[in-house]
Amino acid sequence: MHDVGYVAAGYTITFAALAGYRWHLAVRMRRARRYVSTVTGRPPGWRRRA
Amino acid sequence: MRHLYRALSVLGGYRAQRVMGVATLAGLAATVVIGLFVVPPDATQGNVQRLMYVHVPAAWVMFMAFGVVFIASAAYLKTGRIRWDRVAAASAEIGVLFCALTIVLGSLWGRPVWGTWWLTTTAVLLLIYVGYLSLRKVADSPARRAKWAAVVGIVGFIDVPIVHQSVVWWRSLHQQATVLRLGAPTVAGSMLATLLFAFVAFSLAYGYLMAVRMRVGRLEDRSAVPVSSRPAPRARRPRPADLPTSVASDSHA
Repeated sequence: MHDVGYVAAGYTITFAALAGYRWHLAVRMRRARRYVSTVTGRPPGWRRRA
Repeated sequence: MRHLYRALSVLGGYRAQRVMGVATLAGLAATVVIGLFVVPPDATQGNVQRLMYVHVPAAWVMFMAFGVVFIASAAYLKTGRIRWDRVAAASAEIGVLFCALTIVLGSLWGRPVWGTWWLTTTAVLLLIYVGYLSLRKVADSPARRAKWAAVVGIVGFIDVPIVHQSVVWWRSLHQQATVLRLGAPTVAGSMLATLLFAFVAFSLAYGYLMAVRMRVGRLEDRSAVPVSSRPAPRARRPRPADLPTSVASDSHA
């Protein structure tokens, strides 16, 4: 029975860590986008036309 | 090198990133279902052996990520292009995440099987690359930061083959290699297939996280450049007619 606890803990930690890192990247991206748009005066997600 | 970077740029495109994200999510979900409910438990270790389907792929991604750090660091020192430094930084960050996961999962697997928590040369590897990321925070100029980090990224890679071969060189509690060995793998067919599937799913996760992290790195580099050194938005090059007569005549001379 204890074995199942170790397995559940392992899988939970793995996917929580991956999801947490993805969320952390989303926060960093939002912050950097906001900074760039404040400095340049362009709206977030603005792209130069080719 | 240029082709490799172009391939990375294509993978980092918005649409490719979305597709990779969906594929990663599906692959990881399938790994959980197959690893927990489809494959039979191990004859001797029981259910706890199911941790193999996340521990071993996490270790594989860790090796791959640190390998990319090594290649990108060498490419930076050779070419001096900052984009290689960006690749190395992104891969090191993801490698540290998977290295920590490898240690935690190995400990969770080792405790019920061997009766002790597992802490080995992998912890040294984690410390080396945490040091690499810390070094990136203290350097004062982007060029110096990139050069120092590239040297550490190359020297730190020395520990990677040591960690990989440690299960062969030192007869410790850790079991010998069962898949990457001379001769046929000693693991059962269904377990091997699940493991290979998990390798693919975790590799996709690495590719997806790399694509997102590269995008974040580009944005952060842009936001780190001092405003005074950037061209003003919507600035246009002055036409000869706008220039004072003396300057215009000098430019034609």
